[in-house]
Amino acid sequence: MPTFSQTWLPFIYLYGVGGIFFLSGMIIVKRAKAVNFERKRHRFWWNVTIFGFFYYMALHVFLIVAALYF
Amino acid sequence: MQAHHSLGTSTDWIVMVVYFIAIMVFGSYFSKYNRTTTDFFFGGRRFSWWLIAMSIVATGVGSHSFIKYSAKGFEAGFSSSMTYMNDWFFVPFFIFGWLPIIVYTRIRSIPEYFEKRFSPTTRFLATILLLLYMIGYVGIGFLTMGKAMMPLLPPELTILGFHFEVTLMGLIIVIAVIVGVYITYGGQTAVIFTDLAQGFVLIFAGILVFVLGLDYVGGFGVFWDLLPTTWKLPLANFNTPPGFNFVGIFWEDGIAGSVGFLFMNMGLIMRFMATKNVDEGRKAATFNILFMLPLSAIVVGNAGWIAKAISIVNPSVIPPDTNPDAIFVVVANIISHPGVFGFIMAALTAALMSSVDTLLNATAAVYINDVHRPAKKWLTKKTLNFKEEDKQELSAARVATALFTVLGVLAVIPFSAFPTVYEAHGYFHSTLTPPLVVAIFLGVFWKKFTNASVIATFVVGVALMVLGMYYPRPLIQIFAQGTPYDAAHPYVYIGALYNLFVCVLVGVITTVTRDQQRKIVDSIKQNPNHKTIASGITLLSAAIFMVIVFNLFSLPVLLILSVIMLFLVVISSNYYSKYSEETHTEGLTVWGIAKAKEMFKGSKVNDRDGETIKINFRLKDAPEDLMYFSKNDMIKMSAEQGDLVYVSDARKYLGGLKSVHSIFGQPHNEDGIVYVTQEHIDQGQFVMDKILTAEKEM
Repeated sequence: MPTFSQTWLPFIYLYGVGGIFFLSGMIIVKRAKAVNFERKRHRFWWNVTIFGFFYYMALHVFLIVAALYF
Repeated sequence: MQAHHSLGTSTDWIVMVVYFIAIMVFGSYFSKYNRTTTDFFFGGRRFSWWLIAMSIVATGVGSHSFIKYSAKGFEAGFSSSMTYMNDWFFVPFFIFGWLPIIVYTRIRSIPEYFEKRFSPTTRFLATILLLLYMIGYVGIGFLTMGKAMMPLLPPELTILGFHFEVTLMGLIIVIAVIVGVYITYGGQTAVIFTDLAQGFVLIFAGILVFVLGLDYVGGFGVFWDLLPTTWKLPLANFNTPPGFNFVGIFWEDGIAGSVGFLFMNMGLIMRFMATKNVDEGRKAATFNILFMLPLSAIVVGNAGWIAKAISIVNPSVIPPDTNPDAIFVVVANIISHPGVFGFIMAALTAALMSSVDTLLNATAAVYINDVHRPAKKWLTKKTLNFKEEDKQELSAARVATALFTVLGVLAVIPFSAFPTVYEAHGYFHSTLTPPLVVAIFLGVFWKKFTNASVIATFVVGVALMVLGMYYPRPLIQIFAQGTPYDAAHPYVYIGALYNLFVCVLVGVITTVTRDQQRKIVDSIKQNPNHKTIASGITLLSAAIFMVIVFNLFSLPVLLILSVIMLFLVVISSNYYSKYSEETHTEGLTVWGIAKAKEMFKGSKVNDRDGETIKINFRLKDAPEDLMYFSKNDMIKMSAEQGDLVYVSDARKYLGGLKSVHSIFGQPHNEDGIVYVTQEHIDQGQFVMDKILTAEKEM
């Protein structure tokens, strides 16, 4: 059985440290008013960025679980 | 390690030659759309998102990926895909920050941004660093092409009675000549369209290898069961082995590489500049990262996974000690029939050529914008008209392309010392990207980041990085997070974290102390000998830089000298430059995108949503760059006189190839008709009686 450092530690590090960068980006662009929430297209792109983060997270969870249990 | 030669049959070679000729003819056809240097380099800001997205696939996948990821797939399994799936963290920064800035500021190169945001000195330093980065990238491309072609050739060749030993460097020189000739006469529009075709072919070829490979090993079930569990994990082991570990690659690729790719890869940025507007750029970027990158991860790495499965079942077919960089070619040869193997190799080598020519095109763009034009302005007072100047610049661009091709070949020499292309590329990313990545990033997202800070980041940051190379222990070891020390290639990946840290540290310290620096500079300026003092400070900082670069003292002394140099560099930069936060940040940071948009248009922005309409065009003899629509059509588009308009051939499959940007003129009363000038028809390559579409930009 693979060890923790081969399975979930890289995952936690990836989305923990990477998540800090991602969240910082979202906060900065919001505070800088680079996203105008009154515009439909901007709201769409804002939602796409959030979706993308969880999409990749789910993809990695799926791949790790598949490797370990299937 | 086992080497392979003379793989493939004469049928394969015929298929390869035919493919190459076809793709060159295809590219040459589109080179007719290069009317100016803007078209040659940027494709004229007119293309649809799907065309750019597919074109990016060929650049990203083709550069070195099939060889390097198949090699790591063979050595480590599915975790070879991790670098393709760690780019999302910087998407908010890119699509809401950097992308609108590069489009609205109309910058033509990264160094030009540095001049607008900081100063001409900063532009000069950024040009040196960027050209080094791009030439290095070209070198990696050539090395990969050489390694891909090597297994196909015999160890020796006899031509006209002369015997030649086939060496990697010899082969790379021949490849460089072919690539140089193609790009010199193609230009960006040709590159975009060649890459578009190759994007599809590459994905198809990669999937074909996977399907044929699965069939060879007995189906997906057998393949899955053959691989050990650790080989099926999508992320590598946390910090071992030194040649492939998660934490190092996260900082080298996920952070330095992702920011480098999105923010300073001129090849990629020029693609986004070729999209018709920011929204299309966002579509291209997100579609590429969300869907094409995971697919590409499978496409480029699967040959290594298949090879591993074959080596478990039948080690005599693929011995476990096969050279990893040859594994893609070896697998493709084993699993496919003659002709099919030729097609796969043609797709691979043509895609590698695409990546290299994109980079060479981008390098020439940087040369023209940041070396040729400023140097010409400085050296000559003679004014040429637009056409003469454009002709001269196109010739200069072609000479520059040839020169950078030669430099790219020379860059192969240090990279070929690494065991695989993957390690060479990792080291390249770790060492060459951090100063520029930090400078661009802080420049775009931190308004207070000053000119003195960016110069200090370039000079002192690079000096501290050099110290890291001389003294990986203890300097990089502190950041290694348990990654073992490899004496031959110390901290290839995690070195990126140290390099990023020292550059950020220098940038932050020099920014937060800017008021104190100004006070010191003011007091120096009050001294009657201030010019001599400033020259002395500059010379002393240059001398310290050389002492560090040549490692003339012990580490503690060099670190103290670095601190002294930091002080001297910021004082010197503040003394000589005229930097104002107000004027140098207007429309150039994420905090002023609305202003950038207004500056782009030249008047107040009209953001009201309007329709895209279909129209016929008629010629009007007018000197201005104006298009005349009917009142009703302008109401449909929510447009007003003076707004910007984008007009394109209505055939969607052209992806904006036949299109033009202009300005709304005085409206008339003929609905469905637009009056355009001959220049619009020429620029947009509009065809009489073909319907056009029109939409308001802003």
